[in-house]
Amino acid sequence: MSAYELNRLLFDLKMNAETYNAALADLNAVMQRYDLTAEEQEGLGARDPRKLRQLGAHGMLALYIMRLHPEFRGNIYWTQK
Amino acid sequence: MALVAALAASHAPNILLEPGAEWEDFMELHYRMAPHGASSKPSLDAQQRLRREAEQAFAMLRADLQAASPDVLIVVANDQFVNFSFNNIPTFFVTLADEVKGQFTRHKFHYRVHKELGRAVLNAGMEKGIDFSFGEYVELQHTQVVPLYFVLPEPTIPILPIYVNTWVDPIPTPRRCYQVGELIRAVAAAARERVAILGTGGLSHFPGSPRIGEIDTQFDHKLLELLREGKGRRLADFSLEQILQAGDSEFLNWMVVLGCVGDAKASETFYMPDHVATGWGFVSWKL
Repeated sequence: MSAYELNRLLFDLKMNAETYNAALADLNAVMQRYDLTAEEQEGLGARDPRKLRQLGAHGMLALYIMRLHPEFRGNIYWTQK
Repeated sequence: MALVAALAASHAPNILLEPGAEWEDFMELHYRMAPHGASSKPSLDAQQRLRREAEQAFAMLRADLQAASPDVLIVVANDQFVNFSFNNIPTFFVTLADEVKGQFTRHKFHYRVHKELGRAVLNAGMEKGIDFSFGEYVELQHTQVVPLYFVLPEPTIPILPIYVNTWVDPIPTPRRCYQVGELIRAVAAAARERVAILGTGGLSHFPGSPRIGEIDTQFDHKLLELLREGKGRRLADFSLEQILQAGDSEFLNWMVVLGCVGDAKASETFYMPDHVATGWGFVSWKL
């Protein structure tokens, strides 16, 4: 099955400030904007890039779920693309 | 005119991060992905040495570029989900914008684009059976601005960003990338301008992969030896599997440069694994 919607959400977390800020406030609400399987929602909710990769997310995009981790929100990595 | 200079350089983000706090931040995130690599974490001294050595390598490349007095710099790089995503991944893409901008931490970049040369590449490709995608807007990212920060810090000449898909399967073969380089060399030969080219990326690293943190230094040394001997053409015979197994998918950007330089020997090569994620490589060809 295609992981397009999962990858699209992760791409938007990287590139779309509105999506990122909305996800910081309420990730579940942001997930509802995409056609995700229950397993994908679980992986996103766990903020686990390895799990997301297993579900078909591209590794370079799966990393961006880490932007939502409190300890990594201010990481310098996100200030470059 | 003709191709007057050719360069290749890694674009790893930590090259442009400051040793110390910025590197620590970068590595903290990296080792969360690759905890097995934390034992080789470079000390502050090692970070500073790597930065110095990279700056020295880039200084040589910048001097060679300046000595060649180019009118335009073609920059061959890959996207990493900034301009392209799964709705459309072009195998080869030519930028036909008037200008391009980008930002890396506190550093801002703004270059004019040599759109006419872009159109010449695009049209030559159509005639020769290489059908590039094209577009009028792209945002620069680390794959371009890390080396540009060092080799073209002031936007004194326009650039021409060309993209190669090195990051989403299926990716082009080394031979196809070499052919794209041969096409660019022919376009440069027919152009009025003095054309330089820079290929970015690599060397060995495994971003976003379970093998993240591994660096195949042996393979990288073999690549660089072939470039010093002027045998880059041989790399067109490498299989994609060989390249991917070594974590050198971004070497496909360099393959385009190799198609441009043909059998010319690299005049300088530099190599330093960063002991975090990437084998940093830097090469110049005086043409």
